[in-house]
Amino acid sequence: MNPAAKLAIVTGAGKGLGRALALELVARGCTVAGLGRDETDLSATSKLCPVAGAFHPIACDVSDYEALRAAFATIRRLGPVAILINNAAVYPRRDFLDETPESFMQTMAINLGGMVACSRLALEDMVKRGSGRIVNVTSFADLAPIAASSAYSVSKGAARIFTRALVADLEGRFPEIVISDWIPGALRTAMGLPDGIHPADAARWGAQLALSSDPSLNGTLWERNNEVLEQQSLKRRVFNRLMMRAAPTPRVLSAA
Amino acid sequence: MMTGDLASRRWDVIVIGTGIGGGTIGRRLAERGLSVLFIEKGRSGYRTEQNHMAGDDVHDPEARLIRGSWPDTARARIEGQERRFHPAIGAAVGGSSVFYAATLERPEAHDLDDSAERPHPTGGWPVGFDTMLPWFDQAQALFEVRGQPDPLADHPTPNLSAGPAMCEGDARLMEGMRRSGLHPYQLHSAMRGVEGCGSCLGRKCPRPCKLDGRSAGVEPALATGRAAVAERCEVTELRGDGPRITNVVVRRGGETLEFTADHVVLAAGALSSPRILLASRCAEWPEGCGNAHGQVGRYLMFHLNEMFALWPRRGEGYAEAAKSIGFRDLYHAEGHRFGMVQAMGLNAGEGEILNYLRGKIERSPLRRLPGASQMARIPAKVAARVLGQAKVFVGLLEDMPYAENRVMPDPERPGGILIDYRFSPELHQRRKRFRKLIRTSLGLRRTLFLTYQPELNFGHPCGSLRMGTDPARSVVDADCRVHGIRNLWVADASFMPTSMGVNPSLTIAANALRVGDAILAAPKASRHEPLALSIPS
Repeated sequence: MNPAAKLAIVTGAGKGLGRALALELVARGCTVAGLGRDETDLSATSKLCPVAGAFHPIACDVSDYEALRAAFATIRRLGPVAILINNAAVYPRRDFLDETPESFMQTMAINLGGMVACSRLALEDMVKRGSGRIVNVTSFADLAPIAASSAYSVSKGAARIFTRALVADLEGRFPEIVISDWIPGALRTAMGLPDGIHPADAARWGAQLALSSDPSLNGTLWERNNEVLEQQSLKRRVFNRLMMRAAPTPRVLSAA
Repeated sequence: MMTGDLASRRWDVIVIGTGIGGGTIGRRLAERGLSVLFIEKGRSGYRTEQNHMAGDDVHDPEARLIRGSWPDTARARIEGQERRFHPAIGAAVGGSSVFYAATLERPEAHDLDDSAERPHPTGGWPVGFDTMLPWFDQAQALFEVRGQPDPLADHPTPNLSAGPAMCEGDARLMEGMRRSGLHPYQLHSAMRGVEGCGSCLGRKCPRPCKLDGRSAGVEPALATGRAAVAERCEVTELRGDGPRITNVVVRRGGETLEFTADHVVLAAGALSSPRILLASRCAEWPEGCGNAHGQVGRYLMFHLNEMFALWPRRGEGYAEAAKSIGFRDLYHAEGHRFGMVQAMGLNAGEGEILNYLRGKIERSPLRRLPGASQMARIPAKVAARVLGQAKVFVGLLEDMPYAENRVMPDPERPGGILIDYRFSPELHQRRKRFRKLIRTSLGLRRTLFLTYQPELNFGHPCGSLRMGTDPARSVVDADCRVHGIRNLWVADASFMPTSMGVNPSLTIAANALRVGDAILAAPKASRHEPLALSIPS
């Protein structure tokens, strides 16, 4: 591995957005370890890789936490983990009456559990160096859950809470470990919509966000290439006005 | 190594606490060949952490401990008024010192010595200033102290190296002070000032720059291969057979562990070392270990922080926060003990001015107006803009030892701190004089005191296991060995008979080296020797 290259992990790298993110990060000079359940899908990503040897396929189910530990041990031989994009997710369309407790919790184990486990393992490297970058791919599915999406909506809402909880624990102590949420928007993938955004386009934003590590990005939420600011209370807005302080303006990713 | 393994062996020395005192003495003993076990209430943590000491915004005890900060509130009865607050003390490897501003200043001879011109309130420390000098020198070398010699000092400081180049603004402000007849100098700092050095006032720093109980104490001790840290272990009691400590009992999570060593050093800090002794009771020590005369925990002192904003004169203004200026012209003046004046590394911002305004509101009829305290934010903002470049300084006012001022275990909470403290009339008077002197000494520069009420510096507690030759009026002897106990020593700020007019760190470090040398010189304890010593009465 090129010692100057940052080591990034992308979960769900066998297909869709994960594959596009892995390829984009390689194109931008990273070494990428791609996690995915299906070896055939991963090797297809490998074949598309523009730089020989820069993509390392690792077959692993993110809901199998023992397997994840072994996968991280393999990845660490390439170097310390600098970037983690928690992208792996499933979206079973299922009415709640068709869910069993087991089927519901299996979705949680992948979408939320995989994110938690990968973050925990990647942070072992990051706290040693005092720096790192985690991007959690989430959605607004929790705001107004649609029908036949209960497990997905709950897991994605929980993911956004998880990001905030991580920031609460780590930001003060490790300001250079930067964690944020990214909502790529509806994509033209198996999980998305036929007229959605092309994953390669979204991946440019995602890769740009993952390679931006300014501490001010900690705890921020991004939708496509735009920062989504927290709603300010009326009191705060009045106060800012009195102080002649400009209202904060959301940032935009330049690569878009 | 697992904590259980640490408990199964016998150590040459157990050091309780890993701050400036514990870290320094542990390093000295390990480097001289002894095996040393540090027992630390907090965690080792990660070397890359950069957090500030937790304020009131973090109240969960576990979250506070993770941030290296004292987990619980302390209960204080100040002038009989009870309040609970989070004391600004650390609880992790390095103790409070990982957060400190690394100002390592020497005390003055009169802080230790009695003389006709400057009578000492206790008749003088049992160890004179000249006797302490070699250890001050060693501590300055060990902590790589840098700065300018104090122009008023009459003793040499051979191990003080030149400080970094001062910023132009500081230099101009100092020049102006000199014209007013003061003798400012660059403060003595234990920071290497590496490339990219941020000001780590109140913050942990991952860079190899600040020298503190962790970087200049525990870490070099561990590097000898003869030391270990038992982290997350809270000492609950010392057990002994009268004149000797045999076991150190700790709680780790829900588990009780016991450690053994030939010597035990208390360095848990002046608010905690006495509480450990008071909690250690047996037939021989019914009132607590070392407490036959009821002296443990008494004579507690803090410094008083007289904070003020100073506006540089026309042409002297600058944007950086002054952080390296101090002067000792008022240290002892008009026959009174005051202390030194130091820049705090802050510009007078909104927060300081807000505090000032709130103080004013509290003392006026406006205090009955709901929201008045919130409304103060707006003028504070305006003032911060207008007044801009004021620098915040602090006059450290020496506190005097009174037996009634004390620390003890909080009977309402196991492991809790209870402080009883009253301001003496003498202190009020000295304070008034000190403030007046500060104002007049700075000439025509505008100053604004940022505090009204006497403000105790809870980060500088000392005196609670006072050193003395008379066991009836002190807890430790001139070597800082607990009266009547052969193998129990004190190496934190508890030993100080008086609080001095400077930051305590250098004196704690120097004394820890001295106590370390006394332990090295003590006859090797035999585990089987007959126990013939009795507690002096």
